[in-house]
Amino acid sequence: MTALTPRPTARPVHAARTAFVGPESRLSFPRVVRSEWIKITSLRSTVWSLLMIVLSGVGLSLLLAATMESAGLPDGPSVGFTLTTVTLGVMFGQIVAAVLGVLAISGEYSTGMIRSTLTAVPTRLPVLAAKAVVLFVLVVAVGLVTLVGAWAATYPLFAAAGIATSLAEPGFFVAILGAATYLGLTAVFALGIGTLLRSAAGGVATVLGVILGLPLFLPLAALAFDWVADVGPFLFTSAGEAMAALPLDAPAGTAPVSGGPLEPWAAGLVVLAWTGVSLVLAGLSLRRRDA
Amino acid sequence: MIHARGLTKKYGSRTAVDGIDFTVEPGRVTGFLGPNGAGKSTTMRMIVGLDRPTEGSVTVGGHPYRAHRAPLREVGVLLDAKAVHSGRTAYKHLLAMGATHGIGKARVHEVIGLTGLDSVAGKRVKGFSLGMGQRLGIASALLGDPATLILDEPVNGLDPEGVRWVRTLVRGLAAEGRTVLLSSHLMSEMAQTADQLIVLGRGRILENAPIEDVISRTNGTTVRVRTPDLARLAALLAGDGIAVSRQPDGSAQVSAVTPERIGETAAAAGLPLHELTVVSGSLEDAYMTLTADEVEYRTAAPRKETAR
Repeated sequence: MTALTPRPTARPVHAARTAFVGPESRLSFPRVVRSEWIKITSLRSTVWSLLMIVLSGVGLSLLLAATMESAGLPDGPSVGFTLTTVTLGVMFGQIVAAVLGVLAISGEYSTGMIRSTLTAVPTRLPVLAAKAVVLFVLVVAVGLVTLVGAWAATYPLFAAAGIATSLAEPGFFVAILGAATYLGLTAVFALGIGTLLRSAAGGVATVLGVILGLPLFLPLAALAFDWVADVGPFLFTSAGEAMAALPLDAPAGTAPVSGGPLEPWAAGLVVLAWTGVSLVLAGLSLRRRDA
Repeated sequence: MIHARGLTKKYGSRTAVDGIDFTVEPGRVTGFLGPNGAGKSTTMRMIVGLDRPTEGSVTVGGHPYRAHRAPLREVGVLLDAKAVHSGRTAYKHLLAMGATHGIGKARVHEVIGLTGLDSVAGKRVKGFSLGMGQRLGIASALLGDPATLILDEPVNGLDPEGVRWVRTLVRGLAAEGRTVLLSSHLMSEMAQTADQLIVLGRGRILENAPIEDVISRTNGTTVRVRTPDLARLAALLAGDGIAVSRQPDGSAQVSAVTPERIGETAAAAGLPLHELTVVSGSLEDAYMTLTADEVEYRTAAPRKETAR
Protein backbone atom coordinates (compact mmCIF):
# COMPACT_ATOMS: atom_id res chain seq x y z
CA MET A 1 0.00 0.00 0.00
CA THR A 2 2.64 2.46 1.02
CA ALA A 3 4.54 1.78 -2.16
CA LEU A 4 1.89 3.74 -4.00
CA THR A 5 3.15 7.15 -3.03
CA PRO A 6 0.77 9.75 -4.43
CA ARG A 7 2.52 12.44 -6.40
CA PRO A 8 1.36 15.86 -5.35
CA THR A 9 0.73 18.57 -7.83
CA ALA A 10 1.03 22.26 -7.23
CA ARG A 11 -1.82 23.19 -9.52
CA PRO A 12 -3.62 26.30 -8.34
CA VAL A 13 -6.81 25.47 -6.50
CA HIS A 14 -8.90 28.04 -8.29
CA ALA A 15 -8.32 26.35 -11.64
CA ALA A 16 -11.74 25.43 -13.00
CA ARG A 17 -13.36 26.05 -9.63
CA THR A 18 -16.41 27.81 -11.04
CA ALA A 19 -16.90 25.01 -13.52
CA PHE A 20 -17.96 22.58 -10.84
CA VAL A 21 -18.85 24.36 -7.63
CA GLY A 22 -21.24 27.20 -8.15
CA PRO A 23 -24.17 28.75 -6.31
CA GLU A 24 -26.42 25.88 -7.41
CA SER A 25 -24.31 23.58 -5.27
CA ARG A 26 -26.15 23.59 -1.99
CA LEU A 27 -28.00 21.33 0.39
CA SER A 28 -31.37 19.80 -0.38
CA PHE A 29 -33.13 16.78 1.07
CA PRO A 30 -33.13 14.74 -2.16
CA ARG A 31 -29.38 15.35 -2.38
CA VAL A 32 -28.86 14.14 1.18
CA VAL A 33 -30.89 11.03 0.30
CA ARG A 34 -28.66 10.50 -2.70
CA SER A 35 -25.58 10.86 -0.52
CA GLU A 36 -26.91 8.29 1.93
CA TRP A 37 -27.73 5.98 -0.96
CA ILE A 38 -24.13 6.19 -2.17
CA LYS A 39 -22.90 5.59 1.36
CA ILE A 40 -24.96 2.51 2.10
CA THR A 41 -24.46 0.88 -1.28
CA SER A 42 -20.70 1.46 -1.24
CA LEU A 43 -20.10 -0.72 1.82
CA ARG A 44 -19.46 -4.42 1.40
CA SER A 45 -21.25 -5.19 4.66
CA THR A 46 -24.49 -3.86 3.13
CA VAL A 47 -24.16 -6.04 0.07
CA TRP A 48 -23.46 -9.11 2.18
CA SER A 49 -26.32 -8.39 4.56
CA LEU A 50 -28.83 -7.98 1.75
CA LEU A 51 -27.59 -11.13 0.02
CA MET A 52 -27.95 -12.98 3.30
CA ILE A 53 -31.58 -11.88 3.62
CA VAL A 54 -32.36 -13.20 0.14
CA LEU A 55 -30.42 -16.45 0.38
CA SER A 56 -31.52 -17.36 3.90
CA GLY A 57 -35.13 -16.47 3.12
CA VAL A 58 -35.36 -18.49 -0.07
CA GLY A 59 -33.26 -21.29 1.42
CA LEU A 60 -35.37 -21.69 4.55
CA SER A 61 -38.60 -21.71 2.55
CA LEU A 62 -37.19 -24.33 0.17
CA LEU A 63 -36.09 -26.47 3.08
CA LEU A 64 -39.53 -26.29 4.67
CA ALA A 65 -41.28 -27.00 1.37
CA ALA A 66 -39.04 -29.98 0.71
CA THR A 67 -39.97 -31.51 4.05
CA MET A 68 -43.58 -30.36 4.26
CA GLU A 69 -45.08 -33.77 3.60
CA SER A 70 -43.76 -35.11 6.90
CA ALA A 71 -45.54 -32.26 8.69
CA GLY A 72 -48.84 -32.93 6.96
CA LEU A 73 -50.24 -31.23 3.89
CA PRO A 74 -53.49 -29.32 3.56
CA ASP A 75 -56.29 -31.01 1.60
CA GLY A 76 -56.08 -28.57 -1.28
CA PRO A 77 -54.34 -25.38 -2.35
CA SER A 78 -54.22 -23.01 0.65
CA VAL A 79 -53.04 -19.40 0.60
CA GLY A 80 -52.42 -19.55 4.34
CA PHE A 81 -50.24 -22.63 4.06
CA THR A 82 -48.20 -21.18 1.21
CA LEU A 83 -47.81 -17.93 3.07
CA THR A 84 -46.46 -19.67 6.18
CA THR A 85 -43.84 -21.39 4.06
CA VAL A 86 -42.88 -18.33 2.05
CA THR A 87 -42.56 -15.93 5.02
CA LEU A 88 -40.47 -18.30 7.12
CA GLY A 89 -37.30 -16.39 6.24
CA VAL A 90 -38.63 -13.18 7.76
CA MET A 91 -37.72 -14.60 11.18
CA PHE A 92 -34.06 -14.59 10.22
CA GLY A 93 -34.25 -11.66 7.86
CA GLN A 94 -35.44 -9.31 10.60
CA ILE A 95 -32.22 -9.97 12.52
CA VAL A 96 -30.10 -9.06 9.50
CA ALA A 97 -32.27 -5.99 8.85
CA ALA A 98 -31.81 -4.94 12.47
CA VAL A 99 -28.03 -5.26 12.26
CA LEU A 100 -28.02 -3.33 8.99
CA GLY A 101 -30.07 -0.53 10.56
CA VAL A 102 -27.83 -0.20 13.61
CA LEU A 103 -24.64 -0.31 11.52
CA ALA A 104 -25.91 2.39 9.16
CA ILE A 105 -25.24 4.87 11.96
CA SER A 106 -22.97 3.15 14.50
CA GLY A 107 -20.45 2.52 11.72
CA GLU A 108 -20.22 6.28 11.27
CA TYR A 109 -19.54 6.83 14.93
CA SER A 110 -16.94 4.07 15.22
CA THR A 111 -14.98 5.24 12.16
CA GLY A 112 -15.36 8.99 12.70
CA MET A 113 -17.34 9.36 9.46
CA ILE A 114 -20.10 11.03 11.45
CA ARG A 115 -17.93 14.17 11.70
CA SER A 116 -17.75 14.41 7.92
CA THR A 117 -21.46 13.68 7.61
CA LEU A 118 -22.51 16.32 10.12
CA THR A 119 -20.21 19.02 8.79
CA ALA A 120 -21.75 18.48 5.35
CA VAL A 121 -25.28 18.56 6.82
CA PRO A 122 -25.00 20.59 10.02
CA THR A 123 -28.73 20.68 10.66
CA ARG A 124 -28.36 16.93 11.22
CA LEU A 125 -32.01 15.81 11.08
CA PRO A 126 -32.03 15.45 7.28
CA VAL A 127 -29.26 12.87 7.69
CA LEU A 128 -31.39 10.72 9.96
CA ALA A 129 -34.44 11.09 7.73
CA ALA A 130 -32.42 10.29 4.60
CA LYS A 131 -30.89 7.22 6.22
CA ALA A 132 -34.40 6.07 7.21
CA VAL A 133 -35.71 6.52 3.66
CA VAL A 134 -32.77 4.73 2.08
CA LEU A 135 -32.82 1.83 4.53
CA PHE A 136 -36.58 1.41 4.21
CA VAL A 137 -36.62 1.41 0.42
CA LEU A 138 -33.61 -0.89 0.16
CA VAL A 139 -34.79 -3.44 2.72
CA VAL A 140 -38.40 -3.49 1.51
CA ALA A 141 -37.20 -4.06 -2.04
CA VAL A 142 -34.87 -6.84 -0.96
CA GLY A 143 -37.65 -8.28 1.23
CA LEU A 144 -40.00 -8.38 -1.76
CA VAL A 145 -37.36 -10.05 -3.90
CA THR A 146 -36.80 -12.60 -1.15
CA LEU A 147 -40.48 -13.39 -0.61
CA VAL A 148 -41.41 -13.56 -4.27
CA GLY A 149 -38.23 -15.58 -4.79
CA ALA A 150 -39.26 -17.95 -2.02
CA TRP A 151 -42.69 -18.35 -3.59
CA ALA A 152 -41.17 -19.01 -7.02
CA ALA A 153 -38.55 -21.41 -5.68
CA THR A 154 -41.07 -23.47 -3.74
CA TYR A 155 -43.72 -23.38 -6.48
CA PRO A 156 -42.57 -26.58 -8.23
CA LEU A 157 -42.66 -28.49 -4.93
CA PHE A 158 -46.15 -27.19 -4.15
CA ALA A 159 -47.26 -27.97 -7.68
CA ALA A 160 -45.95 -31.50 -7.37
CA ALA A 161 -48.04 -31.91 -4.22
CA GLY A 162 -51.02 -30.41 -5.99
CA ILE A 163 -51.37 -27.48 -3.59
CA ALA A 164 -49.72 -24.66 -5.52
CA THR A 165 -51.25 -21.17 -5.15
CA SER A 166 -50.62 -18.22 -7.42
CA LEU A 167 -49.27 -14.81 -6.43
CA ALA A 168 -52.62 -13.38 -7.47
CA GLU A 169 -54.63 -15.27 -4.84
CA PRO A 170 -56.67 -12.82 -2.75
CA GLY A 171 -54.69 -11.47 0.15
CA PHE A 172 -51.46 -13.24 -0.72
CA PHE A 173 -49.51 -10.38 -2.26
CA VAL A 174 -50.78 -7.91 0.34
CA ALA A 175 -49.47 -10.20 3.06
CA ILE A 176 -46.10 -10.46 1.33
CA LEU A 177 -46.03 -6.68 1.03
CA GLY A 178 -46.77 -6.54 4.76
CA ALA A 179 -43.88 -8.89 5.52
CA ALA A 180 -41.47 -6.85 3.40
CA THR A 181 -42.69 -3.60 4.96
CA TYR A 182 -42.11 -5.12 8.38
CA LEU A 183 -38.51 -5.91 7.45
CA GLY A 184 -38.01 -2.35 6.24
CA LEU A 185 -39.49 -0.89 9.42
CA THR A 186 -37.29 -3.19 11.50
CA ALA A 187 -34.21 -1.67 9.84
CA VAL A 188 -35.49 1.87 10.48
CA PHE A 189 -36.39 1.03 14.09
CA ALA A 190 -32.84 -0.27 14.52
CA LEU A 191 -31.45 2.90 12.93
CA GLY A 192 -33.17 4.92 15.64
CA ILE A 193 -31.82 2.73 18.43
CA GLY A 194 -28.34 2.83 16.88
CA THR A 195 -28.47 6.64 16.74
CA LEU A 196 -29.46 6.79 20.39
CA LEU A 197 -26.77 4.40 21.58
CA ARG A 198 -24.07 5.18 18.97
CA SER A 199 -22.56 1.74 19.36
CA ALA A 200 -22.92 -1.40 17.25
CA ALA A 201 -22.83 -3.79 20.19
CA GLY A 202 -25.24 -1.83 22.35
CA GLY A 203 -27.56 -1.09 19.45
CA VAL A 204 -27.76 -4.65 18.15
CA ALA A 205 -28.20 -6.04 21.67
CA THR A 206 -31.04 -3.61 22.39
CA VAL A 207 -32.85 -4.21 19.11
CA LEU A 208 -32.55 -7.98 19.44
CA GLY A 209 -33.81 -7.62 23.00
CA VAL A 210 -36.92 -5.93 21.64
CA ILE A 211 -37.58 -8.20 18.69
CA LEU A 212 -36.47 -11.53 20.17
CA GLY A 213 -36.20 -11.03 23.93
CA LEU A 214 -39.56 -9.42 24.69
CA PRO A 215 -41.65 -12.21 23.07
CA LEU A 216 -39.80 -14.72 25.27
CA PHE A 217 -40.07 -12.66 28.41
CA LEU A 218 -43.70 -11.64 28.07
CA PRO A 219 -45.38 -15.05 28.57
CA LEU A 220 -43.42 -15.46 31.78
CA ALA A 221 -44.44 -12.03 33.02
CA ALA A 222 -48.03 -12.86 32.07
CA LEU A 223 -47.96 -15.69 34.60
CA ALA A 224 -47.41 -13.12 37.34
CA PHE A 225 -49.62 -10.32 35.99
CA ASP A 226 -52.71 -11.19 33.95
CA TRP A 227 -52.86 -7.88 32.13
CA VAL A 228 -49.47 -8.44 30.56
CA ALA A 229 -50.97 -11.01 28.22
CA ASP A 230 -53.10 -8.24 26.66
CA VAL A 231 -49.93 -6.41 25.70
CA GLY A 232 -48.71 -9.39 23.69
CA PRO A 233 -50.15 -8.43 20.27
CA PHE A 234 -48.59 -4.99 20.57
CA LEU A 235 -45.05 -6.26 20.80
CA PHE A 236 -42.86 -5.32 17.85
CA THR A 237 -42.47 -8.91 16.67
CA SER A 238 -46.06 -10.03 17.30
CA ALA A 239 -47.37 -7.07 15.35
CA GLY A 240 -44.83 -7.85 12.65
CA GLU A 241 -46.14 -11.38 12.32
CA ALA A 242 -49.69 -10.04 12.06
CA MET A 243 -48.57 -7.68 9.28
CA ALA A 244 -47.43 -10.69 7.29
CA ALA A 245 -50.65 -12.60 7.85
CA LEU A 246 -53.96 -12.75 6.02
CA PRO A 247 -56.81 -10.60 7.35
CA LEU A 248 -58.55 -12.31 10.26
CA ASP A 249 -61.79 -12.85 8.31
CA ALA A 250 -60.10 -14.23 5.24
CA PRO A 251 -61.14 -17.67 4.01
CA ALA A 252 -57.70 -18.91 4.92
CA GLY A 253 -58.22 -22.51 3.94
CA THR A 254 -56.90 -24.93 6.47
CA ALA A 255 -53.85 -24.00 8.49
CA PRO A 256 -54.47 -20.51 9.89
CA VAL A 257 -51.42 -18.30 9.90
CA SER A 258 -49.88 -17.84 13.27
CA GLY A 259 -50.11 -14.24 14.40
CA GLY A 260 -51.58 -11.90 16.94
CA PRO A 261 -55.22 -11.06 17.10
CA LEU A 262 -54.53 -7.70 15.40
CA GLU A 263 -55.68 -7.07 11.86
CA PRO A 264 -52.72 -6.62 9.48
CA TRP A 265 -53.36 -2.90 9.00
CA ALA A 266 -53.62 -2.31 12.76
CA ALA A 267 -50.47 -4.36 13.30
CA GLY A 268 -48.77 -2.20 10.70
CA LEU A 269 -49.69 0.90 12.68
CA VAL A 270 -48.28 -0.68 15.83
CA VAL A 271 -44.91 -1.39 14.18
CA LEU A 272 -44.97 2.11 12.69
CA ALA A 273 -45.51 3.54 16.17
CA TRP A 274 -42.53 1.61 17.56
CA THR A 275 -40.44 2.88 14.67
CA GLY A 276 -41.72 6.43 15.05
CA VAL A 277 -40.87 6.59 18.76
CA SER A 278 -37.41 5.22 18.05
CA LEU A 279 -36.81 7.82 15.31
CA VAL A 280 -38.11 10.76 17.34
CA LEU A 281 -35.89 9.90 20.30
CA ALA A 282 -32.98 9.43 17.89
CA GLY A 283 -33.66 12.82 16.31
CA LEU A 284 -33.74 14.59 19.66
CA SER A 285 -30.48 12.94 20.69
CA LEU A 286 -28.78 13.66 17.37
CA ARG A 287 -29.76 17.31 17.51
CA ARG A 288 -28.64 17.88 21.08
CA ARG A 289 -25.48 15.91 21.63
CA ASP A 290 -21.99 16.86 20.49
CA ALA A 291 -20.80 14.70 17.64
CA MET B 1 -13.86 35.27 8.07
CA ILE B 2 -14.34 33.49 11.39
CA HIS B 3 -15.59 35.48 14.31
CA ALA B 4 -15.75 34.13 17.88
CA ARG B 5 -17.24 36.01 20.77
CA GLY B 6 -17.03 34.78 24.37
CA LEU B 7 -16.70 31.26 23.03
CA THR B 8 -16.78 28.78 25.89
CA LYS B 9 -16.92 25.00 26.11
CA LYS B 10 -17.17 23.10 29.36
CA TYR B 11 -17.11 19.33 29.72
CA GLY B 12 -18.56 18.79 33.15
CA SER B 13 -16.33 20.76 35.49
CA ARG B 14 -13.45 20.99 33.02
CA THR B 15 -13.30 24.14 30.93
CA ALA B 16 -11.80 23.32 27.54
CA VAL B 17 -12.33 26.74 25.98
CA ASP B 18 -12.67 29.69 28.30
CA GLY B 19 -14.56 32.63 26.81
CA ILE B 20 -12.28 33.44 23.90
CA ASP B 21 -12.74 36.26 21.38
CA PHE B 22 -10.96 36.24 18.07
CA THR B 23 -11.35 37.01 14.41
CA VAL B 24 -9.70 35.08 11.61
CA GLU B 25 -9.31 37.35 8.61
CA PRO B 26 -9.48 36.32 4.96
CA GLY B 27 -6.47 36.60 2.68
CA ARG B 28 -3.89 35.30 5.09
CA VAL B 29 -2.95 32.15 6.94
CA THR B 30 -3.75 32.19 10.62
CA GLY B 31 -1.84 29.69 12.71
CA PHE B 32 -3.51 28.15 15.69
CA LEU B 33 -0.97 27.12 18.30
CA GLY B 34 -1.08 25.68 21.76
CA PRO B 35 -0.11 22.65 23.81
CA ASN B 36 -2.24 19.52 23.74
CA GLY B 37 -5.46 20.15 25.58
CA ALA B 38 -5.27 23.91 25.05
CA GLY B 39 -8.63 23.85 23.26
CA LYS B 40 -7.61 24.14 19.60
CA SER B 41 -9.54 21.13 18.33
CA THR B 42 -12.56 21.90 20.49
CA THR B 43 -12.64 25.43 19.09
CA MET B 44 -12.42 24.10 15.53
CA ARG B 45 -15.23 21.63 16.23
CA MET B 46 -17.40 24.43 17.59
CA ILE B 47 -16.78 26.54 14.48
CA VAL B 48 -18.32 23.83 12.28
CA GLY B 49 -21.12 22.99 14.68
CA LEU B 50 -19.94 19.56 15.78
CA ASP B 51 -19.77 20.72 19.39
CA ARG B 52 -22.24 23.15 20.85
CA PRO B 53 -20.68 26.07 22.77
CA THR B 54 -21.60 26.17 26.44
CA GLU B 55 -21.61 29.95 26.14
CA GLY B 56 -20.79 32.51 23.52
CA SER B 57 -20.96 32.10 19.79
CA VAL B 58 -18.92 31.71 16.66
CA THR B 59 -19.82 32.64 13.11
CA VAL B 60 -18.31 31.87 9.73
CA GLY B 61 -18.92 34.29 6.89
CA GLY B 62 -21.26 36.24 9.14
CA HIS B 63 -23.57 33.38 10.09
CA PRO B 64 -23.51 30.41 12.45
CA TYR B 65 -22.24 27.41 10.48
CA ARG B 66 -25.58 25.63 10.77
CA ALA B 67 -27.41 28.49 9.12
CA HIS B 68 -25.55 28.16 5.82
CA ARG B 69 -27.42 26.59 2.93
CA ALA B 70 -24.21 25.32 1.37
CA PRO B 71 -21.93 24.55 4.32
CA LEU B 72 -19.32 22.79 2.17
CA ARG B 73 -18.93 25.87 -0.01
CA GLU B 74 -18.54 27.97 3.11
CA VAL B 75 -16.07 25.91 5.13
CA GLY B 76 -13.78 23.03 4.30
CA VAL B 77 -12.57 21.25 7.37
CA LEU B 78 -9.91 18.69 8.13
CA LEU B 79 -10.22 17.50 11.70
CA ASP B 80 -7.45 15.98 13.73
CA ALA B 81 -9.20 12.64 14.17
CA LYS B 82 -10.09 10.44 11.21
CA ALA B 83 -13.45 11.25 9.73
CA VAL B 84 -13.86 8.67 6.99
CA HIS B 85 -15.58 5.27 6.98
CA SER B 86 -12.74 2.79 6.56
CA GLY B 87 -14.84 0.35 4.54
CA ARG B 88 -15.51 2.81 1.72
CA THR B 89 -13.21 3.78 -1.14
CA ALA B 90 -11.79 7.28 -1.23
CA TYR B 91 -13.72 7.99 -4.42
CA LYS B 92 -17.07 6.90 -2.98
CA HIS B 93 -16.40 8.85 0.19
CA LEU B 94 -15.86 12.05 -1.75
CA LEU B 95 -18.79 11.28 -4.04
CA ALA B 96 -21.11 10.80 -1.06
CA MET B 97 -19.87 13.98 0.61
CA GLY B 98 -20.31 16.00 -2.57
CA ALA B 99 -23.72 14.51 -3.30
CA THR B 100 -25.22 16.35 -0.32
CA HIS B 101 -24.58 19.61 -2.19
CA GLY B 102 -25.10 18.34 -5.72
CA ILE B 103 -21.34 18.41 -6.30
CA GLY B 104 -20.66 15.79 -8.92
CA LYS B 105 -18.02 13.45 -10.25
CA ALA B 106 -16.11 16.13 -12.15
CA ARG B 107 -15.23 18.04 -9.00
CA VAL B 108 -14.53 14.79 -7.11
CA HIS B 109 -12.03 13.78 -9.78
CA GLU B 110 -10.56 17.24 -9.64
CA VAL B 111 -9.83 17.17 -5.90
CA ILE B 112 -8.49 13.63 -6.24
CA GLY B 113 -6.03 14.93 -8.83
CA LEU B 114 -5.25 18.00 -6.79
CA THR B 115 -4.31 15.94 -3.73
CA GLY B 116 -2.43 13.30 -5.68
CA LEU B 117 -4.77 10.44 -4.78
CA ASP B 118 -5.38 9.17 -8.33
CA SER B 119 -3.63 5.85 -7.81
CA VAL B 120 -5.49 4.97 -4.60
CA ALA B 121 -8.91 6.56 -5.13
CA GLY B 122 -10.50 3.19 -5.88
CA LYS B 123 -9.07 1.52 -2.80
CA ARG B 124 -10.79 1.24 0.52
CA VAL B 125 -9.62 3.70 3.13
CA LYS B 126 -8.86 0.84 5.54
CA GLY B 127 -5.51 0.25 3.83
CA PHE B 128 -4.45 3.90 3.66
CA SER B 129 -1.26 5.14 5.26
CA LEU B 130 -1.45 8.12 7.58
CA GLY B 131 -0.23 10.38 4.78
CA MET B 132 -2.83 9.18 2.30
CA GLY B 133 -5.51 9.58 4.96
CA GLN B 134 -4.41 13.19 5.38
CA ARG B 135 -4.54 13.77 1.64
CA LEU B 136 -8.06 12.38 1.56
CA GLY B 137 -8.99 14.67 4.44
CA ILE B 138 -7.61 17.64 2.54
CA ALA B 139 -9.46 16.52 -0.60
CA SER B 140 -12.71 16.46 1.42
CA ALA B 141 -11.98 19.91 2.75
CA LEU B 142 -11.40 21.29 -0.76
CA LEU B 143 -14.43 19.54 -2.27
CA GLY B 144 -16.83 22.46 -1.94
CA ASP B 145 -14.22 25.02 -3.04
CA PRO B 146 -14.84 26.74 0.28
CA ALA B 147 -14.24 30.36 1.26
CA THR B 148 -12.81 29.25 4.60
CA LEU B 149 -10.48 26.37 5.37
CA ILE B 150 -9.95 24.91 8.81
CA LEU B 151 -7.11 22.43 8.89
CA ASP B 152 -6.17 20.66 12.11
CA GLU B 153 -2.63 19.27 11.85
CA PRO B 154 -2.72 18.91 8.06
CA VAL B 155 0.92 17.86 7.69
CA ASN B 156 0.62 15.12 10.29
CA GLY B 157 2.04 11.95 8.73
CA LEU B 158 3.05 13.55 5.44
CA ASP B 159 6.47 13.03 3.91
CA PRO B 160 8.69 16.10 3.33
CA GLU B 161 7.33 16.47 -0.18
CA GLY B 162 3.79 16.39 1.19
CA VAL B 163 4.63 18.90 3.88
CA ARG B 164 5.95 21.27 1.25
CA TRP B 165 2.91 20.69 -0.91
CA VAL B 166 0.54 21.56 1.96
CA ARG B 167 2.54 24.73 2.61
CA THR B 168 2.28 25.79 -1.02
CA LEU B 169 -1.39 24.87 -1.13
CA VAL B 170 -2.27 26.74 2.04
CA ARG B 171 -0.33 29.84 0.98
CA GLY B 172 -2.08 29.67 -2.39
CA LEU B 173 -5.51 29.41 -0.81
CA ALA B 174 -4.86 32.47 1.34
CA ALA B 175 -3.49 34.36 -1.67
CA GLU B 176 -6.81 33.70 -3.43
CA GLY B 177 -8.48 35.62 -0.64
CA ARG B 178 -9.71 32.70 1.39
CA THR B 179 -9.71 32.48 5.16
CA VAL B 180 -7.31 29.83 6.43
CA LEU B 181 -7.07 28.61 10.01
CA LEU B 182 -4.32 26.09 10.49
CA SER B 183 -3.03 24.22 13.50
CA SER B 184 0.28 22.43 13.75
CA HIS B 185 2.77 21.32 16.32
CA LEU B 186 5.62 21.77 13.88
CA MET B 187 6.90 25.23 14.73
CA SER B 188 9.30 25.47 11.80
CA GLU B 189 6.42 24.64 9.48
CA MET B 190 4.15 27.17 11.12
CA ALA B 191 6.85 29.83 10.91
CA GLN B 192 7.03 29.30 7.15
CA THR B 193 3.29 29.15 6.56
CA ALA B 194 1.40 31.47 8.89
CA ASP B 195 1.00 35.24 8.72
CA GLN B 196 -0.97 35.64 11.91
CA LEU B 197 -0.79 33.59 15.10
CA ILE B 198 -3.35 32.77 17.73
CA VAL B 199 -1.73 31.02 20.66
CA LEU B 200 -4.00 29.17 23.07
CA GLY B 201 -3.16 27.91 26.53
CA ARG B 202 -5.64 26.18 28.80
CA GLY B 203 -8.58 27.42 26.81
CA ARG B 204 -7.50 31.06 26.73
CA ILE B 205 -5.85 33.21 24.12
CA LEU B 206 -2.24 33.94 25.10
CA GLU B 207 -1.32 35.83 21.98
CA ASN B 208 -3.05 36.99 18.81
CA ALA B 209 -0.74 38.97 16.54
CA PRO B 210 1.26 38.86 13.31
CA ILE B 211 3.89 36.15 13.54
CA GLU B 212 6.91 38.53 13.43
CA ASP B 213 5.45 40.54 16.30
CA VAL B 214 4.90 37.43 18.37
CA ILE B 215 8.50 36.33 17.84
CA SER B 216 10.21 39.68 18.40
CA ARG B 217 8.01 40.73 21.27
CA THR B 218 8.39 37.44 23.10
CA ASN B 219 12.06 36.82 22.45
CA GLY B 220 13.26 40.40 22.45
CA THR B 221 15.69 41.67 19.82
CA THR B 222 19.30 40.60 19.91
CA VAL B 223 22.06 41.70 17.55
CA ARG B 224 25.00 39.51 16.69
CA VAL B 225 28.27 41.37 16.04
CA ARG B 226 31.60 40.17 14.71
CA THR B 227 34.62 42.41 14.73
CA PRO B 228 38.41 41.86 14.97
CA ASP B 229 38.62 44.14 17.99
CA LEU B 230 35.73 43.00 20.11
CA ALA B 231 37.27 44.26 23.34
CA ARG B 232 37.31 47.84 22.11
CA LEU B 233 33.76 47.73 20.79
CA ALA B 234 32.61 46.22 24.07
CA ALA B 235 34.33 49.00 25.96
CA LEU B 236 32.73 51.68 23.77
CA LEU B 237 29.27 50.17 24.20
CA ALA B 238 29.81 49.64 27.90
CA GLY B 239 30.44 53.38 28.15
CA ASP B 240 26.81 53.82 27.00
CA GLY B 241 25.59 51.18 29.45
CA ILE B 242 25.09 48.46 26.84
CA ALA B 243 26.16 44.96 27.84
CA VAL B 244 27.93 42.67 25.38
CA SER B 245 28.08 38.94 25.87
CA ARG B 246 30.91 37.08 24.18
CA GLN B 247 30.03 33.87 22.38
CA PRO B 248 32.31 30.81 22.12
CA ASP B 249 32.56 31.28 18.35
CA GLY B 250 34.18 34.68 18.74
CA SER B 251 31.10 36.75 18.01
CA ALA B 252 29.16 38.80 20.53
CA GLN B 253 25.45 39.08 21.35
CA VAL B 254 24.13 42.51 22.18
CA SER B 255 20.64 42.81 23.63
CA ALA B 256 18.17 45.67 23.68
CA VAL B 257 19.91 47.78 21.06
CA THR B 258 19.34 48.51 17.39
CA PRO B 259 21.90 47.41 14.78
CA GLU B 260 22.07 51.05 13.64
CA ARG B 261 23.36 52.10 17.02
CA ILE B 262 26.12 49.49 17.02
CA GLY B 263 27.07 50.25 13.44
CA GLU B 264 27.33 53.98 14.11
CA THR B 265 29.37 53.45 17.27
CA ALA B 266 31.78 51.20 15.40
CA ALA B 267 32.04 53.61 12.44
CA ALA B 268 32.76 56.57 14.71
CA ALA B 269 35.64 54.64 16.25
CA GLY B 270 36.84 53.39 12.87
CA LEU B 271 36.25 49.77 13.85
CA PRO B 272 35.68 47.28 11.02
CA LEU B 273 32.57 45.08 11.41
CA HIS B 274 32.52 41.60 9.85
CA GLU B 275 28.95 40.85 10.83
CA LEU B 276 25.98 42.75 12.12
CA THR B 277 22.84 40.57 12.26
CA VAL B 278 19.50 40.92 13.96
CA VAL B 279 18.69 37.64 15.72
CA SER B 280 15.06 37.45 16.67
CA GLY B 281 15.07 33.84 17.81
CA SER B 282 12.81 31.13 16.51
CA LEU B 283 9.06 30.72 16.71
CA GLU B 284 9.75 27.69 18.81
CA ASP B 285 11.57 29.80 21.40
CA ALA B 286 8.69 32.25 21.45
CA TYR B 287 6.14 29.47 21.71
CA MET B 288 7.95 27.84 24.62
CA THR B 289 8.20 31.11 26.45
CA LEU B 290 4.55 31.94 25.84
CA THR B 291 3.10 28.63 26.87
CA ALA B 292 5.40 28.31 29.89
CA ASP B 293 3.94 31.58 31.11
CA GLU B 294 0.35 30.61 30.68
CA VAL B 295 -0.28 30.43 34.40
CA GLU B 296 0.70 34.11 34.74
CA TYR B 297 -1.67 35.06 31.99
CA ARG B 298 -4.49 33.20 33.64
CA THR B 299 -4.29 35.38 36.72
CA ALA B 300 -3.83 38.59 34.76
CA ALA B 301 -6.70 40.79 33.67
CA PRO B 302 -8.50 39.63 30.52
CA ARG B 303 -6.29 40.34 27.54
CA LYS B 304 -8.16 41.53 24.52
CA GLU B 305 -5.37 43.44 22.84
CA THR B 306 -1.73 43.37 23.66
CA ALA B 307 0.20 46.62 23.51
CA ARG B 308 1.76 47.10 20.14
